[in-house]
Amino acid sequence: MFISAVAAIGAVLPMAATLSASTARVHKASQIVTVKQVTDETGRAVLVPFKVNRIVSLAPNITETIYALGLESKLAGDTDYCDTPAAAKLKPHVGSMLNPSLEAIVALHPDLVLAAANSANRRETVDALARLGVAVYATDSRTVRGMFESITHISSLAGAAQQGTALVARLQARIDALQTRLAERPLVHVLFVVWEDPLITIGQNTFIADALRWSGAESVVIAKQDWPQLALEEVVRLEPEYIVFTGSHSGSSAAQMSDLRSRPMWKGLRAVELGHVVNISEEIDRPAPGLIDAIEELAHKLHPDAFPGENTSAMNHAPADIRIDVGEEGKSCAH
Amino acid sequence: MRPLTPRRIAGICGVLFALLFVVVVISLRMGTYPISVSEIVMTLFRGAFGHRDEIPSEFWLVVFGLRLPRIALGILVGAALSVAGAGFQALLRNPLADPYVLGVSSGAALGAILSLTFAPHVPGVIQLAAFIGAAATIASVYFLGRRGGQLDSATLLLAGIVAASFLSAMIMFLMTTLSGHELRGMAFWLMGDLSTPPPTPNVLEWLLFLFGVFAVAAGMIYATTSDLNLILTGEEEARHLGVNVRRVKLVVYISASVLTGLAVSVSGSIGYVGLLVPHVMRMIFGTDYRLLIPTSAIGGAIAIVLADTLARTVVAPTELPVGAMTALAGAPVFIYLMRRRVR
Repeated sequence: MFISAVAAIGAVLPMAATLSASTARVHKASQIVTVKQVTDETGRAVLVPFKVNRIVSLAPNITETIYALGLESKLAGDTDYCDTPAAAKLKPHVGSMLNPSLEAIVALHPDLVLAAANSANRRETVDALARLGVAVYATDSRTVRGMFESITHISSLAGAAQQGTALVARLQARIDALQTRLAERPLVHVLFVVWEDPLITIGQNTFIADALRWSGAESVVIAKQDWPQLALEEVVRLEPEYIVFTGSHSGSSAAQMSDLRSRPMWKGLRAVELGHVVNISEEIDRPAPGLIDAIEELAHKLHPDAFPGENTSAMNHAPADIRIDVGEEGKSCAH
Repeated sequence: MRPLTPRRIAGICGVLFALLFVVVVISLRMGTYPISVSEIVMTLFRGAFGHRDEIPSEFWLVVFGLRLPRIALGILVGAALSVAGAGFQALLRNPLADPYVLGVSSGAALGAILSLTFAPHVPGVIQLAAFIGAAATIASVYFLGRRGGQLDSATLLLAGIVAASFLSAMIMFLMTTLSGHELRGMAFWLMGDLSTPPPTPNVLEWLLFLFGVFAVAAGMIYATTSDLNLILTGEEEARHLGVNVRRVKLVVYISASVLTGLAVSVSGSIGYVGLLVPHVMRMIFGTDYRLLIPTSAIGGAIAIVLADTLARTVVAPTELPVGAMTALAGAPVFIYLMRRRVR
């Protein structure tokens, strides 16, 4: 049934392109397949079936969003890197994000492929699939608000607009509560470490830079490039109050701390001396619902006094090992 | 050794063509989408006779949309790089010469990176910019590499190497200072990759255009092969025998550069093939350029189609850039052949 639906859409593509109407109705083999034309987040026109039953996700954040919307039964396949939630690893894979197998995608008979343009996926992949007549909707979440819009778009494409509205409302409420807590508090100046050697940090237009602002923080580095490489000398000059690592580096904040202390270049930094080193979930770089957990986690670590007596509730969201209070350990070592 | 008659050339090429055909069939069969040989034959047969609506649409997509265009592009690139490599090895009298030795691929890469920065996502612009970059490099190296009014192998080689390293440095500079997600495509491009879709929906016309350019440039090199054989025994002797050495060198230089620019524009810098295939063909069929040029063309096509088939399948469903595959497989194969010959 899916094969014939795809066949019908494939047949209507050249026809629909010449139609000025935004909706095309096709009769094929006594079956009516209806597609609608939508504009995706990169401005491309896409013909999407009204009823989407088989989705292929080309990015971990999209896979996570689909699960958060409760639409996992419609997820026909995802990438090798889709690991959140763990069940996503069991779905059929189509390869990596940058170079997935177009054949593997076609073989899954998707009626909609969801891509993350400009972040996980390459525009070439999106174009190649579109040229083959596959419906590809490219999301382009560059900010937290953009992520909310993407959730809304994905849910309405998949016929689950209500779940989408509800999910966005829940996430928005948490962000709002956080902003109330952090109101009047000055932004903490942080160095966000994307990679240690060579030292690579974030530019001001990245998704992470936006997420940091919602956590009550701001990157000390002002760069138009997305992933600028930095000399350590520049870090000394910029005097970040905190240094932020993500989970992929060396596990817990405590381990991170002792590791930095053992290095002659890093241990002299003021933030390291003060023990102002935090390690947060990698979700901070994923425009998906889990991002809000990461933002809350970072806000708790950078503004502990904004959450009096609430440390336990914050622990619900993240693994225990990154909950160790480095601030205290730092002090005891420094003196 | 038997004399090299046109009949012998045709016979050897026929055998190689048969081998290429076998490799193409294997490549058509391999991939993550399960499709049997009989289904492929059915799809090819009906597709060739215009009965597209009788083919299941996914078979059509996989065979005509994905695998065949990629195989055709692989044949083009492999043939162009190998003929260019053989041409440069003769022109520069240097066994280490490959299609990229004179900086053509670096010039093309610079063009590509500039187009990705200033005009991203405009179909065809990256190929055009890459070709312009290649052509500009060809022209500058030509003017730098002349001595006493004609191309001098040593001067040309030095000029090319300097141009290549200067252009590579500029690429590195741009890659670190520019930003934007478009540049991630560059990594694939620098490594050589056949998965980039053609810039136009008319894939057939695009391929015919590319093969047309190839046929003209490769034909010009082939027309010089008798003279080239004489030049390789010694430029003075060739001149005494009435060969216009200056013109032959110019024709080989321009044609080989155009072939390199053509290949690089559509697939990035795929390494090793242009260096190794002519050597392998020399080991098997001897050094006569009348045989070396056509066998290199077919051998290069076989090498790239094989390498790309592996690139698509070894870590499926993830695809490797074909350039990684040619480098991984090329070096051991070459060393094996070389050692066997020494023994």
